[in-house]
Amino acid sequence: MTPDAAAVAERSLAWLCVYQAVGVALFTLLFAAQLPSMCARARRLGGIAALGGALLVLLQVPLTAARMAGEFAGMRDAILLRLALHASQAAAAAVLLSGLLLLAAGLLLRRAQPVALLGAALAVCAPTLTGHTSVHPQRLLLAPLLIVHVLIGAFWLGALWPLSLTVRLERAEVAAAVLQRFSKLASWLVPCIALAGLGMAYLLIKDKSVLERPYGLILLAKFAVFALLMGLAALNRWRFTPALAAAAPTAARTALQRSILAEYLLIAAVLVMTATLTTFFSAED
Amino acid sequence: MKRFRVPWLLALWPLAALAHAHLEQAEPADGATLSASPPQFTLRFSQAAQLTALSLQKQGQAQPQKLAPLPATAGVQLRVAAPLLDPGSYELRYRVVSADGHIMTGSVHFTVAAR
Repeated sequence: MTPDAAAVAERSLAWLCVYQAVGVALFTLLFAAQLPSMCARARRLGGIAALGGALLVLLQVPLTAARMAGEFAGMRDAILLRLALHASQAAAAAVLLSGLLLLAAGLLLRRAQPVALLGAALAVCAPTLTGHTSVHPQRLLLAPLLIVHVLIGAFWLGALWPLSLTVRLERAEVAAAVLQRFSKLASWLVPCIALAGLGMAYLLIKDKSVLERPYGLILLAKFAVFALLMGLAALNRWRFTPALAAAAPTAARTALQRSILAEYLLIAAVLVMTATLTTFFSAED
Repeated sequence: MKRFRVPWLLALWPLAALAHAHLEQAEPADGATLSASPPQFTLRFSQAAQLTALSLQKQGQAQPQKLAPLPATAGVQLRVAAPLLDPGSYELRYRVVSADGHIMTGSVHFTVAAR
């Protein structure tokens, strides 16, 4: 494995953990009253994800040094490590690490929801401190678009595991009510992911020919996966959830759990695409 | 040994209009055939960049040769002394860090002709 591939793997897994932890913090804020025991389990999962994410973020500086050298020996090069520590990624990683530690504390300790929310806020703002968003002339527009994109994406992914547990363990009418509430909320929020993504693409892409190059092709692939995800979300909302509340809850439970797992895997695939995009390519390449 | 001056990234931060540094010109140029070993390698980028790795691989050789010392500071034009090269085809591979922290990689191919 090359340092570049290791960096993509680290970023993908770290952001999966960030999305999971931030999403759980938001989900439990909204659904704690309706699902007290489920939310307690979800908070434990979110806390563990936050700790896992923090460990992965700690790897970023040595991996950046390795990428600078083009070999893992760079991780032991004091000069490259110093350079990596002063790069903008290190500032973003420090904010992300603080956010994840707050998220872990807020989710694992009792009555610490505000701490978790503060951590979530720091985590979703961290990516605005590095990359194109940090230096672009229109960064004041790009930064809020990126925050909206990440925040809603995290809410979506982070809610899937608690929703899957709800479908499996709760009574059919409770699960159907929770899913209906989530779907109603998501139908307003999730399109904002695409709108924010389109807004960022509009600001970053100066030339349509980018769409024929790796940067543009990965962006198009992200949109294609997003369209698939919207299809699954529509199936959940209009077919499986009503079936759960109606005649065939067992079959609907199975179908919903499969559909939710597919959503989780597709969002994880989008995170890998994003890590690849932001590690190797630029709209200007 | 490399001795980078670290704060250049921070100093460039508010000035950077474009995020990534792109190779604009190289000496030897990509695809060039030289009549003799070049005295140095010159890489010219679209904006200031910090060179963090430079290696040279002769066609047919298993391992690339690391080149040093590298420039201590970021710059638009970066020069590194070249070793004495035998005739053959070479690939010069570089890694630079742009103002936004992105690590850019690239390579230049050239040939040193037999006398």
